Parts: sequence; C-alpha cells; structure tokens
Amino acid sequence: MMRSRSILLAASSLLWLALLSVAEQRPHYGGVLRIAARGTPQSIDPATLAASGSANISRLIFETLVRLDDTGRPQPLLASSWQSEPGHQRWRISLRDGVSFSDGFPLDAASVVASLRSSNPDWKVVAVGEMVIIETPSPEPVLPAELALPLNAIVHRAGGRLSGTGPFSVSDWTVGKHLSLQANDEYWHGRPFVDSLEIAFGVADREQLLALDLGKADMVEIASENIRRAKADGRTVFSSEPAHLLALVFTNDARSEDEAHARSALAASLDTTSLGDFVMQGGGDPTASLLPNWLSGYAFAFTVAKTPDHAPQERSQSRRSPSWTLAYDSSDAVAHVIADRVLLNARDAGISIQLVGSGTADLRLVRMPIASLDCHLALTQLATTLQLAPPKFSSDSVEDLYTAEKGLLQSRRVIPLLHLRTAMAVRSNVRDFNMLPDGTWQLSNVWLAPEKP
Amino acid sequence: MSFRRRLLLLFALTVFVSVAAVSAIVLLTARRAFDRANDDQISALVAQFTQEFSRRGDEVSKRLQAAASTPEASHIAVAAAQTPSRYTAFVADAQAIAQIEQLDFLEFADDSGTVISSAQWPAKFGYQEPLAAGSPSTTPFLKDEETPSGHALGLFSIRTIPTGDRKLYLIGGIRLDRSFLSSLKLPSGMRVMLYENVDHGSEAFSANHLVTSGPVLSDPSRLESLVRSVQNNGRPESVTIQWGSGESELIHAFPLAGERDQLLGILLVGNSRQIYTDFRNQIRSAALLAAGAGLLLAIILSSWAAARVTRPVEQLARAAHQVAEGDWSASVTATSHDEIGQLAESFNRMTRDLLDQRERLIQTERVAAWRELARRLAHELKNPLFPLQLTVENLLRSREQGEDQFNEIFRESSATLLAEIANLKNIIGRFSEFSRMPQPQFQAVQLDELIENVIKVFQAQLERGGVKCQCELSTPQPIAGDPDLLHRALSNLISNAIEAMPQGGTLGLRTTQAGGSARIEIADTGPGLAAEDSARLFTPYYTSKPHGTGLGLAIVQSIVSDHGGRISVSSEPGRGTTFIIELPRNDDKLSASQAD
Repeated sequence: MMRSRSILLAASSLLWLALLSVAEQRPHYGGVLRIAARGTPQSIDPATLAASGSANISRLIFETLVRLDDTGRPQPLLASSWQSEPGHQRWRISLRDGVSFSDGFPLDAASVVASLRSSNPDWKVVAVGEMVIIETPSPEPVLPAELALPLNAIVHRAGGRLSGTGPFSVSDWTVGKHLSLQANDEYWHGRPFVDSLEIAFGVADREQLLALDLGKADMVEIASENIRRAKADGRTVFSSEPAHLLALVFTNDARSEDEAHARSALAASLDTTSLGDFVMQGGGDPTASLLPNWLSGYAFAFTVAKTPDHAPQERSQSRRSPSWTLAYDSSDAVAHVIADRVLLNARDAGISIQLVGSGTADLRLVRMPIASLDCHLALTQLATTLQLAPPKFSSDSVEDLYTAEKGLLQSRRVIPLLHLRTAMAVRSNVRDFNMLPDGTWQLSNVWLAPEKP
Repeated sequence: MSFRRRLLLLFALTVFVSVAAVSAIVLLTARRAFDRANDDQISALVAQFTQEFSRRGDEVSKRLQAAASTPEASHIAVAAAQTPSRYTAFVADAQAIAQIEQLDFLEFADDSGTVISSAQWPAKFGYQEPLAAGSPSTTPFLKDEETPSGHALGLFSIRTIPTGDRKLYLIGGIRLDRSFLSSLKLPSGMRVMLYENVDHGSEAFSANHLVTSGPVLSDPSRLESLVRSVQNNGRPESVTIQWGSGESELIHAFPLAGERDQLLGILLVGNSRQIYTDFRNQIRSAALLAAGAGLLLAIILSSWAAARVTRPVEQLARAAHQVAEGDWSASVTATSHDEIGQLAESFNRMTRDLLDQRERLIQTERVAAWRELARRLAHELKNPLFPLQLTVENLLRSREQGEDQFNEIFRESSATLLAEIANLKNIIGRFSEFSRMPQPQFQAVQLDELIENVIKVFQAQLERGGVKCQCELSTPQPIAGDPDLLHRALSNLISNAIEAMPQGGTLGLRTTQAGGSARIEIADTGPGLAAEDSARLFTPYYTSKPHGTGLGLAIVQSIVSDHGGRISVSSEPGRGTTFIIELPRNDDKLSASQAD
C-alpha cells in the first residue's frame, strides 16, 4: 500500500513538473513588462515620439495604415488595400473593417482623414464613403511607404486624449518620465500576452544595464558602443541592422573650389574604421554612403580614398588653410569622443577644427535613424533631415536611387561616418521578443515566462 | 638776514637733519630686517613647494601602481602581448581607471608608443606617446600634456607592466592646479601662483595659464614682463609690482623644468610689502611729528636765545649805528657778565674814548686855527706895515731936503700911506666879512640870468684883459638859492679866472641841469694848478696868488655848502682850471619861497 502510494506521489510530481515545464515554454497571458528607455518624450503624439527617438513606443499605441515588411514592401495594416491613379498623385485607400480605437471609437474614414490632415497639412485628404482619398501636391510613388512612417500613425483625438488602434492603450503618462500602457483587450489583431507595460524614460545607459541586472527592468536599450560588451557579459541582446547614420554635415554649400577640396581632405582624413572599432566598439560600420548596404545593396560602391597621402594632397589643392567649427551634442559622451577624433584626424591633415557644444557652426555631427525600409523614402527623409536638396527619382530602380544618392554625396555637404546599430537587452523571462532590421520592436507576441527561483 | 633768523634757521636745520637721519637709519634697518624675513619666508615656501611636489609625485606613483594592478590594466596588458594586438575594447578603460584612482591624466601605451587608451583625451587612441619607450625613470616629473581643452601642466609618473617580451606603459599624473597650490601653508601676506609655461600658440604669455591659490588677479598682465624674463633667462627673477589697488608686492619667480629640462612652469611667490609700507608710513609720520615738534622747539629756543643773545647784540648794533651817524654819546646797558656783557662794556668804553679824543682834537684844531689866523694876520698886516714904515722914514728924511723936494716926497708919501692904509682896511674888511658870512635867504633863482648879470659886471674888465667869454647856459628851471651870495661866489670865481689870464684867454661858462640839481662850470685857459695846489685850494687862508688873503675860495665853498651843494676843481698845469659847482634844486625850499 505504502509502495503504491509512493509511486502515485512520484507520478503526480513528475506530471506536475512536466506541466510546469510546458507552461514555461508556451505563451501565456499576464504579467507586466518593464522597459527602460533613454529618450524623454514630451508628448505621446506619434510625431513627437518619432522625433524623440521613441518611434517604437508610438507603435505600441498607434498604428499606421500600411506597414513595411522586412524587405521594405508595403503591407496592409489599418488599410486593407490602396490604389493610385496614374501619376501617383491621387491615392484611394480602403480601410480594414472591425477596427476600433482604444477609447472605443470605431476606425472609419472620417477619423483617418482627420488624423492624416493633422500630420500632413500639405495633403488633400477626403473621405468618400468608407474610402479615404489622398491627393498630394506632387507625385508620390512611395506614398504607401510614407503612410507606414510613425508620423502618419492614425490618432483619434477626443477631449485632449489621444487614442490609437495599437495593442496597448495609455493608462498613465508622466511627461518625459513614465508611461504605463495596458493591453488593449479589443485589439483587432488579438490581445497581447502581457497585461501591461511600464516604461521608464530618461534612464542613462549604465542605469539601464544595472536595472536589467538587478531585475528592475525586463527590457533596456543598449547603446551602439555597448553592444559588444553587453553580449560579452552574457546578456541577451537583440540588435538591428546598422539603421542609424552618423555623419558630419556642413551647414552651407562649399563656396569655392578651395573649400570643396578642403572638405574632400577632411573626408579623406577621417579614420572611420577606428571610429567603428574603438569608439563604437563594433556597434557601427564605417561607411561612405548615406543608406546602409543591407538596405540599398550598393553602399560598397561608395568609397573614400584613405591612403596616408590622400588627405594632405586634397588639402594641398586648397590654397587657404581651412578653419571650421564643429557642433555636437555635448551631453553625449560618445559624440564628444567622435568629435575629438575628427578634430585630431583633421589636424593631421592640416585642417583646423574648433569644437563647440551647440549653436551655429560650420559643421554638425549628427545621428539620425534610417526612417524607412523603403530606400527611396529613406533617402528622401535623410536629405530632408540633413537640409539637403531633395533627391529626384525618375523611377523606382536601384540605378536611379544610386544616382540620386551619389548626387547628394557629391554636393560635399555631408560626410558619412558610420552606420550604427540599435539594440535591446532583455531578461531571460522575456520570450518571443523580436527586432526588425530597422530596429522596430515586435512586442505583440512577447510573453513573460515565470521567473526561476 | 638777521641773527635771530639765522639762529632759527640753524635750530630748524639741526632738528630736521637729526630727525631725517634717525628716520633714514630706522627705515634702512627695518628694510633690511624685512628683506631678511622675506628671504627666509620665500626659502621656506619654496622648500615647502618642493616637499609638496615630491609628496604628490609619490602619491601619483602609488596611484599609478594601483592603476597598473586593476583587472582592466591586466586585460590591456594581455592584449598588448598578443600579435596582432587588438585594442578596440579598451578605449574607455583609462578614463574609468583614472576616475577610480583619482588621476587627472592616464594613458596606456604599448612599447611601440601607440596610445591604447587615454583618460584625458579618449579620442587619442592610436596616436603616439614619445615617453612610452625604453625603461623610463619612475621619478615624478612635470609634463606639458595636450588635452581637448588645450595644453595643461601636470605632475606625471610612469609605470611599466611587463607583458612577455613586450611592455605596457602607464603614464599618469595629476594636474598642478589651484588645489595643489591651496595645499601649501602660506604665511600671512604671502601667496603662491603657478604659471603653466605650456604651449599656448604664438602668445608668449597667456593669463589663462596663471593658476592662483587665492582670488583671481585683477590685472595678471603685470606679471608678463617677469614671466617673459624667466622664459628668456631660465633663472629665478624677482620684481616689485604695484597693483591697481595701490598695494605693492614683491614677486619671486622660480623656473620649473620638465623631464627634458625644458621650462614648463614658473612658480610665482608673492610677498605683500604692505606690512613694510605701513611701517614705513608710520616712521615717516613719526618723523614728521618729531620734525614739527622740533621746529616748534627751535622757535622757542631761538626766541629764548634771542632774548639772551641777540637783544644785547641788537642794542649794540643800534648804538653803533648812532655812533656812525655822529651821536658819539650813544651807549648800551650791559646786563650780563658774559661775552655779550663784555662787548657792551667795550663799546661804551670805545664811545667814551671817541668823545674824549674828539674833544681833544677840537681843542687842538682850535689852537691850530688861532695860530694860523695869527700867522695870517701877522703876514697880511706885515706887508702894508713895511711900506708904511719905509714911507714914514722916507718922509722924515725928506725934512732935511729942500721944500720943493720935501713937498714932492710928502705928496708921494701921502699917496703911498693912503694906499697902504686902504690896503689894510681892505684886509681887515675881508676878515670881517669872512667872520660875518650870513645864512642864505632862499628864493627862486634863474641861474642863467644870474650868470649873465655877473658877466655884465665884468664886461669891461674882460674886454680890457683881452679875455673872450664863451657861455653855454641851459638851466631853464629855477633853483632855490640866495641870489646875492651866489652872485658873490660867481663873481669871485670869474674874478679869479680873469686874474689867471693876464695875457688874455677864454673864459668858459656852462650850465647844465640833470635830475634834481644844476651844474655850473667856470673854466679858464690860464696856466693851471699843480695837484697839491688843487688839493688845498679851498683851505682858508691858503692862496696861490702873491697878494691873496686865501679867503676868497673859502667863502665860495662856504656859500656853495650853505646851499647844500658842493664845489670841485679840475686843473692841470698848462691846461687851465675848471671850477665845477653842483647845486641841488632844493624843491622844498623852492616851494616854500614860491608860496611866500
């Protein structure tokens, strides 16, 4: 009797352990996912979030009409289909049925029109029945990709409150510090597994790592220069493709051939390999192009001669000794080191550079995200952000894209330095997290496994 | 300058010189003492700096040793030992270690001199560090370190970590900044500064490289010449600087050399001279006070001395002045028995002797005058008496002659007697006239007119004697005089002149007027006078003429003198004689006479 009872107890224990094991490996609902982030957004408006580097937060709350897949092709999201009239100036968008905002308001053509008008004042957006008609001032062959930008997320504004159709809705918001999101039970694509998200903003890199290691955060951002060390320390790190561009941008066009040669000398003098290896610790790839190779496929074709003599030769063709000021984000220690390295490299080439923390300068050290997985749109967005002349495309061919980018580079207004990766480190209990090549988080399928004692 | 003033001046000068001498000696002594104290303080401070420099250097060495013992340093050492070396992971390590070990500067470099990681300039990886070579000394040294914000002066040390057959160099240090200087214990009134003689472009002096232990200098450019001097000479220098606030400060500059003897820093030790300046001002104030008091004392003493000494002297001076003016009865009262009293007594004895001698002289002169008068009278009277005697004797003898002869002789003798008697009467009249010379009755006299009247009187005599008269009369202004007496005097002189020219000649009469006096010249072309005759010409009873009484010119002189004028003679033998009369206008008497 005793023996049979013992056997029964052992069998039940094994069954319980097996059940527990299965439970750890299968998604389940519940839990609070804690995220620490560097940015300090001042609003949860999609445009503001995107501008402050918090586009991923925006995607948790708001959705766009279109999304881009890994290859950059538009895929339906809130829009079920779209069609352009000849000339790509007039687009007809059909909306997905059965979608509601988190405040319960149904997604309809009128709400989409109101949202798009707010984010794109230049567009003429009207509702025709359940269809949305968009007319742009000029031909926009990449309008679907443009509609996928976080800026164009659909927002319902009611009584000063913003609501989206995303998997989470806002439950609490302290400007620039803390955001609480709760799972949208009515999410049209299915409720997320986690019940809520607690996002702390303005947390420094070192504190984020500390919070992760102490179990006070489940997901933290990893700066590009810390990716290698974070991995070396045994953390679970998800990194994007090099999706940010670090570049030197001249405020004005070169005024003379002399200055153009001096700018070429500066570009040739910069040891971008060392910047990538030493300063960014492998978190960035040296580049001479605006778009990364994984996106455009032709970036390797852009090179800058880096022989020891090239910079002095270019410099010697400039009759005047150039002296420029370089502005950088003085609150960013890495930007400081990069600016210092630029100063040292330039000095070796006989170019005088004076660093300034902010304000107007001849040169700016800028870091900006590749805004879209659509190359044409990404290049256009880069040119706009860098205040360069917008590239003109005659077709959507790669050759045309290459020619446009080459034109931008030959203006000598911008010197690409590195393409940088973004990364997130997650705790071991965070399951099914994924990051797209452009750094977009995939949180809708994330679930939290029970903590091991 | 009076004796009293001289005495006062002497006292004041004595006091001033004494006070000045004492003040100068005190100031000189104080300055030497101050300088000695200053030198001692400077030496002590420099020794303290050297000691602190050494202590901090040891501290840097220890911190560097601690840095070399960190795991990060070990990782870098391992990487440096590998071939090829990969240093990419260590860029930020130097900064982190430097922060922990409290080092301002820290660099890791391999044995090829390549910077692996730099705390002060993280972007400097891959660049060369010349000190990372060979077996460097562990002795702390000064170094000019380039940083992103410019050059800085630091106290450095080097440590090496052997990595197999290679070496890893740790070059670290601390900045010589305000905190370093503040750790020095400064005596009151002293301060210490450090000039970082690091590369600051084309400028030889930059105020930004001056590190002070206290407040920032208001005008650091005043140190420029001192700094330049040390830069040029490389020797300690010192200079006194007058700051804008008026305070002066003695600044000593000591060169600080780097590991290759290059001038990297200048230690500036300032010692305020305010204490000395205050002391000097106090001495000067005291000296001025003493001089003032001394001056007051000099006045009092000189007054007292004057009462004791100068008053009898002044009495003596006044009495002597009286004597000089003819009052020989003046005397002083001797109030003491000292030299001044004896002097007063001698003065009184001298005036008494003078009075006695004058009395005796007067009596002597009086006797002499009577004798001269008797002689002259005897002489004058003897001349007519002798012809009278002969005439009477001749008349007595003529009684024995015939009547006709007697009558003839009687007639001639009577005429002779009458003539001689007349001569006697004339002589007696002149003496009588000389004794009865009246005082002039002043009235306005036109000299030119008076002279013309006199000439008229002598006109016939001039023509008879063949004397030509040349007149140059130019005294239009009247003078106060007695016309009768002046007429007599002029007549006498003209008469003498005519008599001096028995063979004829020229009588010159000339008048001029200058200032407040008139000048009359009466010149003849006669034989002239010898010098001794000219000297005695106005002496009474002296005459150069055979039958003169010697009273004529004495009367002339008396008249001229009574008019307040004077007469002189200019004559040489063979060149004639000129009498010159100078008469004052006597304005007061002229006004009185015109008022009458």
